[in-house]
Amino acid sequence: MTRYLVLAGQTLVAVALAPALAGFIRWLKARLQGRRGAPPWQPYFDVRKLFGKEAVVSHTASWIFKATPFLVFGTTVVVASLVPVVVAQVSPFVVGDLFAAVYLLLLGTFFLALAGLDTGSPFGGMGASREMTVVALTEPTVALSIVALALNAGSTSFSQIVAHTLTQPSAALGPGHLLAFAALFIVTLAETGRLPVDNPSTHLELTMIHEAMVLEYSGPYLALIEWGAALKLLVFLTLAANLFMPWGIALSLAPMALLIGLVSVIAKLGVLAAAIAVLETRVAKLRLFRVPELLSVSFVLALLAVMSTFLAR
Amino acid sequence: MTLETLETLETMMDAMFSQLVMLGGSGMLLTGLIVLWRKHVPAYISAYRWQAWLLAAVTATVGYFGGDWRLYVVAGVLVALKGIAIPALLRAMQLRFGKQPQITPYVNTETSLLVAGLLVLFAYVLARPWVAVTDLPTREGLPLAMALLFVSLFIIVSRRKAITQVIGFLMLENAIALLAAVGTYGVPLLVEVGVFLDALMGFLVMQIFAYQIHDTFDTIDVEQLTRLRH
Repeated sequence: MTRYLVLAGQTLVAVALAPALAGFIRWLKARLQGRRGAPPWQPYFDVRKLFGKEAVVSHTASWIFKATPFLVFGTTVVVASLVPVVVAQVSPFVVGDLFAAVYLLLLGTFFLALAGLDTGSPFGGMGASREMTVVALTEPTVALSIVALALNAGSTSFSQIVAHTLTQPSAALGPGHLLAFAALFIVTLAETGRLPVDNPSTHLELTMIHEAMVLEYSGPYLALIEWGAALKLLVFLTLAANLFMPWGIALSLAPMALLIGLVSVIAKLGVLAAAIAVLETRVAKLRLFRVPELLSVSFVLALLAVMSTFLAR
Repeated sequence: MTLETLETLETMMDAMFSQLVMLGGSGMLLTGLIVLWRKHVPAYISAYRWQAWLLAAVTATVGYFGGDWRLYVVAGVLVALKGIAIPALLRAMQLRFGKQPQITPYVNTETSLLVAGLLVLFAYVLARPWVAVTDLPTREGLPLAMALLFVSLFIIVSRRKAITQVIGFLMLENAIALLAAVGTYGVPLLVEVGVFLDALMGFLVMQIFAYQIHDTFDTIDVEQLTRLRH
């Protein structure tokens, strides 16, 4: 019973923290660029304001357009409940593993692209086609870096991977681990629409990818999509933090361990978010035709990770 | 200390040693891949500098765990020669050629990265029997050194500019040095010094060649060398 309560609580923490993470990156980026910036908790106000507004839906839109925000938010919350955020308990029942998590997130992306096409606006179609190009190129990398992790731990279950890394800390410094982390980090940037693949803070039609797809959304729908996007970023960063550097995560349900787990995950997310903010301040957006180069770099990194874990033992 | 604790300590040291060598080797391989990805000569030079520093670190690590003080000397010379002197010479060379347009290789970036991935796979397969027969703690580094060897050969054949070919050659030389360090715990100091001198001489000769090419043809694009000028 306590186990389910704790798992539900962990999911709630992830959902509640997500806007703060997005706001923190935005705030830190503004400070780094010499601007004052909105406070980190600004996204909460935005979401509340959007929920109070009326939604405008195009006449040509079908049910897909209205269902997509719920699907995007719903799948992301389900994934957040699978990922070990605060506690990683080894249990005989594996509800969802790495494959399930990554492909549930992709389901949301797929529906977002459909909704972009649905309204028939040119920007939506452009964004959807670009998003699908990027996703098709990141897919092999995601699968390969999962394989690299799973080969190390002998399982694709989150808790097994965490437990394995905790028992063999030297493996965490191995090239297989580091290369897979680098590959997954590039993929995170591409999948969550950050620089250098997509610019999250622009509304310039010629360059945007994610923003072009959601251009037609307004009101509560937009709130759900924005919240879902923030949660997706949190989920990816949590994966990167807890699968590759699991130290501090709670292995039991004791209150003290849970508290340490919560504090450590917030600290790790803060470090990764700061890394993203610094990166986004330093690099410019890549030309769309150079994005495949970046993604093939990440693919080769993942390939090397698999090779060094699979062939070198 | 009992015998068992000593033994476990030794295996732990071995594991750490192998881990560190593997990390350094992978870092060197990554700098080779950076060259395939980036498009400007300064990025190539800094990738080479990083690679040289990593090679020095691996050599020093092998010296520490293998208990050979001469490898420290080699690491010191490596830093001075390949980590500082040759990059400075390369930068001087690049300044003399002036601002070059970005490098267009014979093979495009995506393909060359994938080819590099396949070459690494090939190196792993090739080095497998070799890794299986040795029980050196550094054996995991052998396929990495072979892979760097192939990747730098690929850099030499797939780039157009003379200066990038020179960098490819220097990386090839680094790969051989890495192979020597992890495969045999370093060759005798005298041989090492000879190799350093050879590398430096080779580099200087190539530099003169590149200058000559530049003066005669007003470009360092080796594509132009296939046509008769005079």
